[in-house]
Amino acid sequence: MAIMRQIQMVFDLNKCIGCHTCAMACKTMWTDRDAGQMHMYWMNVETRPGTGYPKDWENLGGWFNADRNTIPLPHIHEGYGTPWEYNYKEVLKTEGGDTPAPKLIPSPDPSEYPYASNWDEDVGKGTFPNSYYFYLPRICNHCTDPACLEACPRQAVYKRSEDGIVLIDPKRCRGYRYCVKGCPYKKVYYNPEEKISQKCVFCYPRIEERKGNFCSTQCAGRISWIGYADDTKSNIYKLINTWKVALRLHPEYKTEPNVFYIPPLSPPTYSFTSKLTDSPRIPIDMLAKMFGDTHDQNYDQRVTRIKQIFDILQNERNKVASGGNSELIDILISRSEADRFQI
Amino acid sequence: MMENKSIENDLSDKNTLTLDLLEHVTEPIGKYPYRGWETAYREQWKYDYTGRTTHSVNCAGSCTWKVYVKNNIAFKEEQYADYPDINPILPTYNPRGCQKGANYKEYVYGPQRLKYPLMRVGARGEGKWKRISWEEAMRHIANKIVNTIATHGPDTITFYSANPAKFAITYAGGLRLANLIGGVVCSYYDWVSDLPPGEPMTWGVQTDSCEAADWFHSKYIIVWGSNLLETRIPDAHFLTETRMRGTKIVAIFPEYNPTSIHADIFIPVKPGTDSALALGMANFIINKGLYDEAYIKQYTDMPMLIRMDNGKFLRESDMTSNSSQEKFYLWDQNTGKPVLAPGAQGFLGSQDWTLNLDSIKPALEGIFTVHTNTGPVKVTPVFSLLKQKVAAYDLVTVSGITGVEDCLIARIAREFASTKPARIIGGAGTNHYYHNDLTNRSHILLAALTGNVGIPGGGFDHYVGQEKIWCKEGTFDLAYPLGSTKQRFQPTTLWTFIHSHIMSDVDNLWPHPMIDYIRESVHNGWMPLFPEGTLDSGKSPKILFVWGSNFLNQAKGFESILANLWPKLDLVVDIDYRMNTTGLYADIILPAASMFEKWDISTTDLHSYVSPFTPIIEPQMESKTDWQIWQTLARALQETKFSYHDTLPDGTPVYRDFSTLVNDFTAQGTLTSDKAAGQFILDNSVGTRGMTMDGINEKPRRFVATGKEFTSDIKDGIAYYGLQRMYELKQPLSTLTGRQQFYIDHPWFLEFGEELPAYKPPVQEDKYPLRWITPHSRWSIHSTWRDAKYQLRLQRGQPVVYLNPSEATARNLIDNDALEIYNNYGKILAHLCISPRIPPGMALMYHGWEYYSFRKGGFQSPTTIRIKPTQLVGGYGQLKFKANYWGPTGNQKDTRVEVRKYKSG
Ligand code: SF4
Repeated sequence: MAIMRQIQMVFDLNKCIGCHTCAMACKTMWTDRDAGQMHMYWMNVETRPGTGYPKDWENLGGWFNADRNTIPLPHIHEGYGTPWEYNYKEVLKTEGGDTPAPKLIPSPDPSEYPYASNWDEDVGKGTFPNSYYFYLPRICNHCTDPACLEACPRQAVYKRSEDGIVLIDPKRCRGYRYCVKGCPYKKVYYNPEEKISQKCVFCYPRIEERKGNFCSTQCAGRISWIGYADDTKSNIYKLINTWKVALRLHPEYKTEPNVFYIPPLSPPTYSFTSKLTDSPRIPIDMLAKMFGDTHDQNYDQRVTRIKQIFDILQNERNKVASGGNSELIDILISRSEADRFQI
Repeated sequence: MMENKSIENDLSDKNTLTLDLLEHVTEPIGKYPYRGWETAYREQWKYDYTGRTTHSVNCAGSCTWKVYVKNNIAFKEEQYADYPDINPILPTYNPRGCQKGANYKEYVYGPQRLKYPLMRVGARGEGKWKRISWEEAMRHIANKIVNTIATHGPDTITFYSANPAKFAITYAGGLRLANLIGGVVCSYYDWVSDLPPGEPMTWGVQTDSCEAADWFHSKYIIVWGSNLLETRIPDAHFLTETRMRGTKIVAIFPEYNPTSIHADIFIPVKPGTDSALALGMANFIINKGLYDEAYIKQYTDMPMLIRMDNGKFLRESDMTSNSSQEKFYLWDQNTGKPVLAPGAQGFLGSQDWTLNLDSIKPALEGIFTVHTNTGPVKVTPVFSLLKQKVAAYDLVTVSGITGVEDCLIARIAREFASTKPARIIGGAGTNHYYHNDLTNRSHILLAALTGNVGIPGGGFDHYVGQEKIWCKEGTFDLAYPLGSTKQRFQPTTLWTFIHSHIMSDVDNLWPHPMIDYIRESVHNGWMPLFPEGTLDSGKSPKILFVWGSNFLNQAKGFESILANLWPKLDLVVDIDYRMNTTGLYADIILPAASMFEKWDISTTDLHSYVSPFTPIIEPQMESKTDWQIWQTLARALQETKFSYHDTLPDGTPVYRDFSTLVNDFTAQGTLTSDKAAGQFILDNSVGTRGMTMDGINEKPRRFVATGKEFTSDIKDGIAYYGLQRMYELKQPLSTLTGRQQFYIDHPWFLEFGEELPAYKPPVQEDKYPLRWITPHSRWSIHSTWRDAKYQLRLQRGQPVVYLNPSEATARNLIDNDALEIYNNYGKILAHLCISPRIPPGMALMYHGWEYYSFRKGGFQSPTTIRIKPTQLVGGYGQLKFKANYWGPTGNQKDTRVEVRKYKSG
């Protein structure tokens, strides 16, 4: 029951701009192989508040936090979103043709299943001008206690010793999708063409060459760090353990995820009389329901932690603004790429 | 197309567990025994070779990419991330790219890709095409050109492309031919309203913004109508990173957008009232004495004396007969006398062409009497007049106009004035309004009053469009072999307005009808209008070439253009690698090489490096590089053996002999290859001296120098920022006064009350309730990628319009309803997205959707062209026509619409 090393990743939500360069970098490398992969985004970015991807994934349940017999499987159209096709050939006729061109339309009609992986991008909640939202990038968490692994009756899911990356052996997998149900983050996907389940591989062929995974090296916002949990000199170690500004997404799912998030600050709201207040517009309550340190932390402890992190960030910002130095700020800025990738 | 039904079944949980004979794995965590399969993914990540390129889409990114090729197929794109760092204190430029650039290959191999020359066989826009040979296409075009020149004159042949900075060789190709045969070259930067008119007006420059790394030096940033985090994806991190350093970020936008979410303060301003807010802040800063007095005395026209009898600058010619009209006065407090202000245009070439004040102590306020040729005249400094003028913008009034609470205005003004360096970043959000010049001028005013212009981290910086041609000299030499003085240039807004018979709907805003201003401007030679004689004899253009840009899709007044301009054109040629709206309405389509298939050069405002496009793969199918296409056309023209005597508008005769055209085009064969053309640009530009195409392919290089049109030097270890030569070297600007000039004493400006920055409300001519806001998008760069399936799948798959919940409720609409968006000019269909981030009173649709993405209408259907007379002015100091530097803008954000549920049938 032991691995030698665990790779970890931190996302700074204060730097995430929702650009999806990570998602596209992943898509064009790993899930562009056949039609059965088109609904998959091993790396996706969702607007919060929002339904997320797959739709309402937080309410679907997982192996350690739901009745295993009632966990539903997301369906392609309703759950993952239809990968629309387009009638380019008829409209654009780049090879000639003398039928009148129709308009470019997606099929099936998006109104049939009004959902896609990023359907509620930038929609948010609240009342203008106090509307609020933020972006949440998500990959497989390469959990310390992977629910997918636990759920697989064929033991086709495993965790690598040298880096803790969780993989599905396609030779052993028979497509039962217990892993899809088992993962509470819904980060395992079924490929109906290949009839097996597939998931984020943390770009292990690149990690083996000591290059970062695509979603972090291609991150235009420079929001992520990767490193090994036991490397106490690494920036991920400092963010998670020294400065304690990075939290897990839904630690109550009990899988001990290895992806961490620095929670998002937000501009203050306006009062009824249009006066600027000093309360952040993203409700702390919403963040506390999403982020925490460990599975046994309670709601109040989570609220306290988020406030504490905001204080740390604000204090360190002020310190630097008034001419001081801050190790934390230097890490968050990460002037060179070597500051972000320490593997 | 996937079989949807079967997937549904497949994903339902009806498979039963069938256990075959399976070895038990005791330790799946850490000791999995069957890992041999892992080579499968390692195989996927194998490649034969890589190559370097970037994207010419006018994104202002100019990001260098690595393309991986296996079996001659470009299968994966990765940000190269090898920009050398400027210094260790600044965050790196690496990686650099966006999600669209991550999948350009969709166009290289996708169904949008043009593969063969095509000739229209149905009606224009009907989409019926016949494949023809290159030879046929070229013969057809060449014959049309020759006949048109002979019958209608060369100035009926018009060339339109956009932004040499994004693809210098591609751009130069068409222009080079136009220059040789006598055609008309259209402007783009003013036409797409990306030109910030306030910059030529105040600074005498086209635009000179800092590179993104300099944001990191700012201590206070107002992001004002520039949605950086959504539309400057590769540079956004400099903003979030400087914020971490404690820099306060203030976001001023009418809607809560992706930039606002990472701001410290979000200020919702009523659309189009930005200059009122800026002038309110200026008023506060002046009243509280928060301005930088020494700075404005030395670097702005604030101390220059204005005659109170006629509102004009006091000129040397007023005081001494037969003297300069381009020398102006300050009131020297030491001597109690008017003295000539050094640095004005009249001093050019003399030692007084400097901003050094020496012993002069200029007054900023007061009324003084001077003795002119015609007797005593009262004069007062510009600052006095400004102070009076902005007094109208008190906090309460401004709060009423802008919707921003008065204490907040005061707070922002105070913080901005007392934190140095402070910067305002402007963009399309403010620049695409009719009164964009006033907004720019009031933004620059704030930056100048506080002494921020010309210092690292400070100033006013504007980012819309990729206009900065760092390799300008070489690009222009390549584009205009006979010289740019022998080129016919056309401000496109005016050309399109007149030839599309647009009816001005803003005449009531001005003392005279718009057409009178246009006539006067053209008659005075302030703005050219081709073909010559258009206004008198009704001459019209006959041939239009469009390459590397999507003229028709971006064209404000879309419906009038199709109805009136298009029928005048005997031939429309579109050259592109992909089919687009312009292509669909063209007569001949020529397939161009994609961005993976040619040598070219790209540069941008946002960074100070040069990197190339290279031919990573062969041009696909029958496509050719643009440089080769224009040579092929030159050859076809040469075969006609046509020649003619041309006379340029200024009377210069030019004999044009087509029988040597290929030699002229290739400079006797030295510029035949694309790579040689690129090397020519590098060799002839001051910024790239000593560089080679192979060298910049090895690694991006930082520019080594800047030409005289830049306002700053480029220095090792320092991020580029604007107006350094003015501030550090006391070098005058190219404005009439040589200073940052806020007062323009042109008679039209005086008559319109715009001699100083002012607030004028957005145009209200469309009598519809919703402001039609069409910002740049995350998901496309203008129309590029707008129709790309991988991007569409991450949106809602089709055009969407955003409304506030209250507007939706008022109209009984629910999310995803099909809507008709309409006004007097046209209508389009789109689906509704309801979001509280949009304020009431606004309908927002991201820009760039192609005509064919709408079941009805085109993206620009609800817009018209609204010319502002101040932008037709010429013959005044810095206000003189120069293509893409000064001319009327094709703004569109004053448009208003209504929406209703669409009932099909
Ligand atoms: S499209 Fe523009 S911003 Fe995006 S990667 Fe290409 S050059 Fe960069």
